[in-house]
Amino acid sequence: MTIDPAERLLNLIIALTHARVRMTRAQIRATVVGYEPADAHLAPDDVRRREAAFERMFERDKEELRRMGIPLRTVLDPTHGDAIGYKIDASDAAMPGIAFTSAEAAALALAAEYWQGATLGPDAHQGLTKIASTSSAAPRTPLTLGARASSTSDATATLVDARARRLAVAFDYTSASAGLSRRTVEPWQIILRAGAEYLYAFDRDRGEPRTFRLGRIHGSVTTVGKEGAYTIPRPLPKPSWGDTGAVHHAVVGLRPEAGHAIRRRGRALGTEGDWDLVEVQYRHADAIKDEVLALAGRARVMEPALIAQQVEREAAAALRVGEVPIDAESAGGGDRG
Amino acid sequence: MGTVAERTAPRVTRLLGLVTYLERAGEASIEELAEHFGVTSAQVRRDIELLWVSGVPGHAPQDLIDFDAWAFDEGVIRLTNSQGVGQVRLSPREGVALIGALSAVVAGGAAPQAAHTALAKLVDAVADKDAVRSVTTASVDPAVAATLRDAIECRVVVELDYADANDRRTSRVIEPHRIVVIDGMPYVECWCRRAGDYRTLRVDRIMSASMGTDAVTAPASETPGFSLVPKFEAVVAADAPARWLLESFPGVQLEEGDGVVTARFGVADVSAVAGQLLTIGTALRSVGPPPLARELARQARAVLAAQA
Repeated sequence: MTIDPAERLLNLIIALTHARVRMTRAQIRATVVGYEPADAHLAPDDVRRREAAFERMFERDKEELRRMGIPLRTVLDPTHGDAIGYKIDASDAAMPGIAFTSAEAAALALAAEYWQGATLGPDAHQGLTKIASTSSAAPRTPLTLGARASSTSDATATLVDARARRLAVAFDYTSASAGLSRRTVEPWQIILRAGAEYLYAFDRDRGEPRTFRLGRIHGSVTTVGKEGAYTIPRPLPKPSWGDTGAVHHAVVGLRPEAGHAIRRRGRALGTEGDWDLVEVQYRHADAIKDEVLALAGRARVMEPALIAQQVEREAAAALRVGEVPIDAESAGGGDRG
Repeated sequence: MGTVAERTAPRVTRLLGLVTYLERAGEASIEELAEHFGVTSAQVRRDIELLWVSGVPGHAPQDLIDFDAWAFDEGVIRLTNSQGVGQVRLSPREGVALIGALSAVVAGGAAPQAAHTALAKLVDAVADKDAVRSVTTASVDPAVAATLRDAIECRVVVELDYADANDRRTSRVIEPHRIVVIDGMPYVECWCRRAGDYRTLRVDRIMSASMGTDAVTAPASETPGFSLVPKFEAVVAADAPARWLLESFPGVQLEEGDGVVTARFGVADVSAVAGQLLTIGTALRSVGPPPLARELARQARAVLAAQA
């Protein structure tokens, strides 16, 4: 007798929700519709085979429950510490009712588009189904708002799950400074920045928090050790993004109405010709240089002269490369060494 | 696995959702439920039939989830016994998926108020409030963003001054349809009356904007997110230390050898890509195809002219 796995899972949820104290594995197997009960009349080999099949099925179902966000409580034997049964606390599990307006529900729906093709895609859809269950406004594809990230990572889901269980993780990582190395970290937070994902985590080997770009993780992320192995500091210290070091001042010229980011954090000094002068603080000369270059002529560095020269050097070099367009075929680089 | 059958978790999530929705709503038609949960009426019927035979071990009649059979025959679903189950709270992954996407849009700086309030309600409802957050990288004029939002809502045109990557200013009248945040950067998808075509304008390049009175007449582009379609594939070779920048391009494929890294990636916004390549000018070895190289040269000249 095979039965729809959805039906079995639903029956399991109902049974565990109704369990007064707990249900043992044997009780689950014997009573929940969808599992094959033990049969004493079978040959010992068949008994063992069926036993193993039940164990596999039940482990898979526990994983599905976890994936759905259902807090399955494992009841432990007080003397031996063995798992002796399972239970779901309905009050602990319930989705809180949130009153979303139809405009808010529409905005929520963009999550499906944002994670399309990523490991969190199915989770976004499932989350929206949950929102629909307790809200009279259904999350539908928003017509006037969209969002897209192009560098979503396969590691996100694993990291989110590990973080929720306070499990440390290990992965191979390429950094600009250290090359490829194995990192063991305690995940604190996922940070989304300009369409890329980062993991903010405590690096056990380096003994301090670090930010990891998920796209630089090679291969798979594996969990290390036991659940509940660490606590996440509250509030989280601010990630550095490399912005430690002494503060310097630069003066940047901006075309009227260009460079809002610089204007917002800087101090207006007046005008010079067609340029609005703004004084800004910086820690890394490269940050100012890159920002001015990205404004493609709508900004210029007035001082310090060193950064102004760096800007000119980058632009002059880019011009040399840009003026000799080569076709895509010969740009391989690898076979011309 | 690989079949058309729906996976288990999404279906059970909807089954629990139907129970909770019906408990709150009292009753609902099959069509209403189908619309609300975004599935077919036939699927809702199958879902209700499955719920109807599920229950507490023993499966005596009083142990089952139950519906009003008379109403069911009329196409109306009325729940009479939920067996105490219902929708479960967001899983950690679901929370990160929803909060992450919304926070990314809000961080873009041009999201409507509803996105802000939806995000606040969501964060308020989850136990784990800082599993994910977004960092703002775009520099959008809040007044411009507000004008675009209002115009989209009121379905009227916007008169604006736009500066392209080369600081060439143009005045345009656009029919705005949609704000789309791509990799943290907000764009407005619109019909440009000046160009007589669909355009995707970077909101941070809109110098000023004012709401007009003309109503929007052009329909929104049939392919939402048309701006995302890469126009061509770029091939960029650079000294290996510049790898960090090249690897940030969406869908990039990298090859490295002899101290040179070669990147291939789709280009949707030529001027934005050129602007980023400018920042690694001294490391660049070659840039192709010609449209990208030309744009790079154009921006480089503009920088040199400004700096002179």
